[in-house]
Amino acid sequence: MRLLLRFAVTIFSAATLTGCATSMTVSSHVEHGLDLSRYRTFDWGPADALPTGDARLDQNPFFKDRVQGAVEKGLAARGFRLVALGESADLLIHYHANISRRVTVAHADHAYGYCAQADCPPALLEYEAGTLVLDIMDARTNELIWRGWAQSSVQDLLDKPGEMAKTINDGVARMLLRLPPTL
Amino acid sequence: MRSLGIRLAGLVTLTLALTGCASSEVRSYTARGVDLLQPRTYNWARDDARATGDPRLDNNRFFEEHVRAAVDEQLANKGFAKAESPDVIVHYHASVIQDVKNRGVEPGGDCKECAPDVYDQATLLIDLVDAHTDQLVWRGWAKGHIDGVVDDQQWMERRIDEVVARIMRELPARAREASE
Repeated sequence: MRLLLRFAVTIFSAATLTGCATSMTVSSHVEHGLDLSRYRTFDWGPADALPTGDARLDQNPFFKDRVQGAVEKGLAARGFRLVALGESADLLIHYHANISRRVTVAHADHAYGYCAQADCPPALLEYEAGTLVLDIMDARTNELIWRGWAQSSVQDLLDKPGEMAKTINDGVARMLLRLPPTL
Repeated sequence: MRSLGIRLAGLVTLTLALTGCASSEVRSYTARGVDLLQPRTYNWARDDARATGDPRLDNNRFFEEHVRAAVDEQLANKGFAKAESPDVIVHYHASVIQDVKNRGVEPGGDCKECAPDVYDQATLLIDLVDAHTDQLVWRGWAKGHIDGVVDDQQWMERRIDEVVARIMRELPARAREASE
């Protein structure tokens, strides 16, 4: 199986980016009946100890700045205020990033026309799948009240800061659109 | 090389799953010599959270609470009561992996239809552990495809309810007794 994947990867490494980078899945879970209008301010909570699955993301200040910047901007647009140093907040925000290897089915004949045979069958394509999870906790109860996530291929993205920043901004913005209305 | 690779990969094909949404495979195991009609009280293991393999589900209160509520309901139906010093401790564990299913293609067969089946497979297992001896007395589990399920909170909650009910059906039934 590994060998097959390797073949597929070699053949389609060029196709990967175009094939997967475009599709991002965004969704969320929410506490039943959550009323966000009770909350006014937010702060960053402590990071978790879960593994990112990729050393390039561990203690990566660029990545952290990008995510925090996008979240702060998005929450401000929704009327939440980032507290000043030493001030206590209503909400604690926390994010977690993870990268894992996944496979997808590439229909080479239709999409890329690489196939020599007329009946060229679909191939397995391996790629790096990134997940960004954003947690919003009630600061008083320390309970999770909302979780949003964005999942997308990040194949070769870690080496391209500009595109990575765009993907983060896009993912965070789309996640926060799913926050329940405050009015 | 190129066409060989594609061919080989293409031959790695699938059968199933599209139907898989509703169908989970459910199994259980009972330790030898254990009378499952004996334990009457249970409680949850303290802080049982382990990595699931799916970052959306790790430390996910909405997932964890729904599983526990579903198990609580099923155990109550089986006549179990929650107690401070229980007969059995209940653990659960969820894990998700991506899997690929193959189907052999007949020689000379048309390969237009034979895409490999790539899917997310989840396993939910529920353990009953003897609170005094710390021995596993019963384990029930379900395995099924969950593509798209986690992204839809209502769907996820329905799936948990269904699958927990089916797992707990494996636990021997007994008459409910009102008093000790």
